Amino acid sequence: MDGESQFSLSELEARSGVPARTIRFYIARGLLDGPARAGRGAYYTTAHLRRIEWIREQQSQGAMLAEIAVKLRPAPEGQRLAQPEAWLQYSLSEDVRVMVRDGASPWRIRQIRAALSELAGRLSNTDVETRSPDGDRNK
Amino acid sequence: MATETSSVRGFAPVAVETGEELELAMQRLWLTGHVLPVGARLMVHHVFQSKEKKPMEAVYAFGLPRDAALRRFVIRGEGFTAHSELRPTREAVEEYERGIRDGSLSTLAREHGDGIVNLSVGNIRPREKVTVCLEILAGVELHDDSFRLRFPFTLAPCYHPRARLLEIAPGAGEIELPEDEFGDVMLPQFRQDSSNLHAVGFDLRVTSPGGFDGIGSPSHRVRIQVQDAGGVRVLLAAERDIPNRDLVLDVQHCNARPEALAGTGLDGKRHFIAIVPSTSFGEKPKGARRVVFVLDRSGSMQGLPMEQARKAIEACLGALSAEDSFGLVAFGDQTEHFQTRLSPATRENRDAARAFLASLQARGGTELAPAVEEAAGLGGTGSDLFILTDGQVYGTEQILARARAVGVRLHCLGIGSASQDRFLALLARQTGGVSRFVTATERVDMPAVDLFASLGKPVAESIRVTGAHIQPDPPPCVFAGTPLAISGEGADGELRIQWDGGSLDLPVGDCGRRIGEMVRLLRGARMITDLESRQINTGREQSRIAERLKELSKEYGLASREMSLVAVVARAGDQPGEVPKTSVVPVGMAADTPFAGYFAAARRLDADATACMGVSAALFAHPDAPAARLVSESNEEDLLLELAARIEADGGMPGRKEEDRVLATVLAILAFLQESHSLKTGAFRSHVRRLVEFLEARADRDVVRRVIECARSGRIVPGDWVCTQNATWEEIEEALNEIRS
Repeated sequence: MDGESQFSLSELEARSGVPARTIRFYIARGLLDGPARAGRGAYYTTAHLRRIEWIREQQSQGAMLAEIAVKLRPAPEGQRLAQPEAWLQYSLSEDVRVMVRDGASPWRIRQIRAALSELAGRLSNTDVETRSPDGDRNK
Repeated sequence: MATETSSVRGFAPVAVETGEELELAMQRLWLTGHVLPVGARLMVHHVFQSKEKKPMEAVYAFGLPRDAALRRFVIRGEGFTAHSELRPTREAVEEYERGIRDGSLSTLAREHGDGIVNLSVGNIRPREKVTVCLEILAGVELHDDSFRLRFPFTLAPCYHPRARLLEIAPGAGEIELPEDEFGDVMLPQFRQDSSNLHAVGFDLRVTSPGGFDGIGSPSHRVRIQVQDAGGVRVLLAAERDIPNRDLVLDVQHCNARPEALAGTGLDGKRHFIAIVPSTSFGEKPKGARRVVFVLDRSGSMQGLPMEQARKAIEACLGALSAEDSFGLVAFGDQTEHFQTRLSPATRENRDAARAFLASLQARGGTELAPAVEEAAGLGGTGSDLFILTDGQVYGTEQILARARAVGVRLHCLGIGSASQDRFLALLARQTGGVSRFVTATERVDMPAVDLFASLGKPVAESIRVTGAHIQPDPPPCVFAGTPLAISGEGADGELRIQWDGGSLDLPVGDCGRRIGEMVRLLRGARMITDLESRQINTGREQSRIAERLKELSKEYGLASREMSLVAVVARAGDQPGEVPKTSVVPVGMAADTPFAGYFAAARRLDADATACMGVSAALFAHPDAPAARLVSESNEEDLLLELAARIEADGGMPGRKEEDRVLATVLAILAFLQESHSLKTGAFRSHVRRLVEFLEARADRDVVRRVIECARSGRIVPGDWVCTQNATWEEIEEALNEIRS
């Protein structure tokens, strides 16, 4: 951490926009290292700031703190079995199937269903104007 | 104050599997205080003890009861006692953080949206024990003949479309809310098994100027001790309990009569709260009703609550007459209509509505606001919405704003053992309706029928009060079964209450300074709750509301979202710069709420996974989730509900010929009377009224006239009429003669 800026907790709070209590909670959950020194001389660095920014980025993508904590654990030796995932299959027409990952939030499901309904409607409507893959216009 | 028994003092939770002592941030939560028919002044004793090797910061999250506000706290430990100060929230947070940096014991009680409070206690030293006694003023649910106190011992998980959920370990779930809307509120971890969490209990004093007819609790086993001063002490019967349900206390009055509690507060002014039973305003006038039933069929309602809500609506349909019209809307993630406009309450329409109800499955989130808007559009101006829900939603201020805008009355029946009493009370009050709450161990359908009986035309409208400065404003109307509650200051002698078609004078005595100050604080808590519920993150009005909240907080000495409570205790040996380990106190899932109903569909955390990411599902019911544990046995009330559901649009029971219908209607009245439902009393009073109206036009026989008279007087006719619905005229006459003899 040599050469990096040093901040107090309140400075880190101001720079990151994350309340001090939340920063302490990140430390307690193993998402963030504690200050670089104990006691009165405790300070934080740009590495802490970058980690907080990364945590916020992960959260904005839908990850929860417990999931982020798992991500941060060092990968053990050897090959790991991939995590299973459940997918939902929607048949929109005889020749079109769409896969959607299971477990999305309700607003996302509504969004996906609305899009799929629209697509299914367009696929079933033979009168709509379409373009062939080579760019020719078809009716 | 707190009553620590020796058996409780040494309490230490242990892990069931290993028998080892668990390292809990909070060990004990004990409730004491004084309960009056107009509200309660409660002390909540939180005992924190650190098992950490370094300083600890414990965060306990809880929901405020209805019309509640925090007043102050005192923090005690070995060799010190400190009292809280009320500060603007920003200053309070800064002071708390300064105390944490200095290594001092710091405590902050801060309210967030939805009435969720985070009580943070930082820098508890290793092995140290500290107690935070937090004073809370809380309102009660008022009925004509009783009142109900509800205090949260746990916090139910709720729905929000942008909430993220995760089962982080078997039987342990977490919810995170979007910070742009909810700030840095910390929610607890929700545990399926609450048996090894902190101990809870209570020791309350209940007093009522008019005396009691009975005290009981549908949530906990209680011990009652009558005290010399006319009060009653209500204690948890067991030594301790687990935090998996709210405390619910029911107090029956001796006499339902107008009453005012008044006295001089610490500000030197005279404060009062007056309660006037709805029976003081006369009988409910007749008039066609336009009612839209709004049924919450979200995942958290699955199991018996949904089944009972269905039956309740069916029975309510039976109370509608041919002139009435109704709509039916069910909502989860999306809203479904029975029909796109109001339907006359004909037999055919009610049968079709019953089939619609039977087709509904509990699933998905709780999108309450769009459902209310659609139901209001369906009912139109002047209609009543009757909502059956557990109210388990976050972002209640936004929902309230949308509900206020639709311009119809909302009447709420809340269901659940850790539900949103505060929110549903506000939802009803701010739209001019009434609300009731039932716990999971009580029947849902009977209170639903009871509440429904009071809808339609109010017993009094255009309430005006003179003789004092009234604040907050009185409700615009009074519904049967729910008293008028008014409060204010300066009443000296008598209040005059006027309404369209009547008036009454209510003497206001003096109950002393202690009651006067309690009444003053309860009024402040109510006004703060009302104003907070209008605080949303957008709009020009918000800075005005924030300023007014600050003023109210200062005037009444009560915390709000704008003013928080803070205390910092500097002690010898404080270690500045040390970062305490932050720990959020877990809570148990509400007793009737299946853990899997919330967290089974959420992503599970695999501790071995190296790439476990993705959006977690917001509250979804899982088809495999176990049904809620509720009372389900069939009894007389079930039979009465079935009877009520069969009433025809003209008010009579069905039958092939007129003669058969009259006999069946007489038998139905006898059955309702047998269970104490008459024209004036009981949940089925509106059903009895319709049956009597049907008979009045067909009262050729003396027997019929005598049965009508019994329905009016409430006199029970000997016989098992509930189970015997095929008796003859002769048998009925014989039973009536038994009364005469």
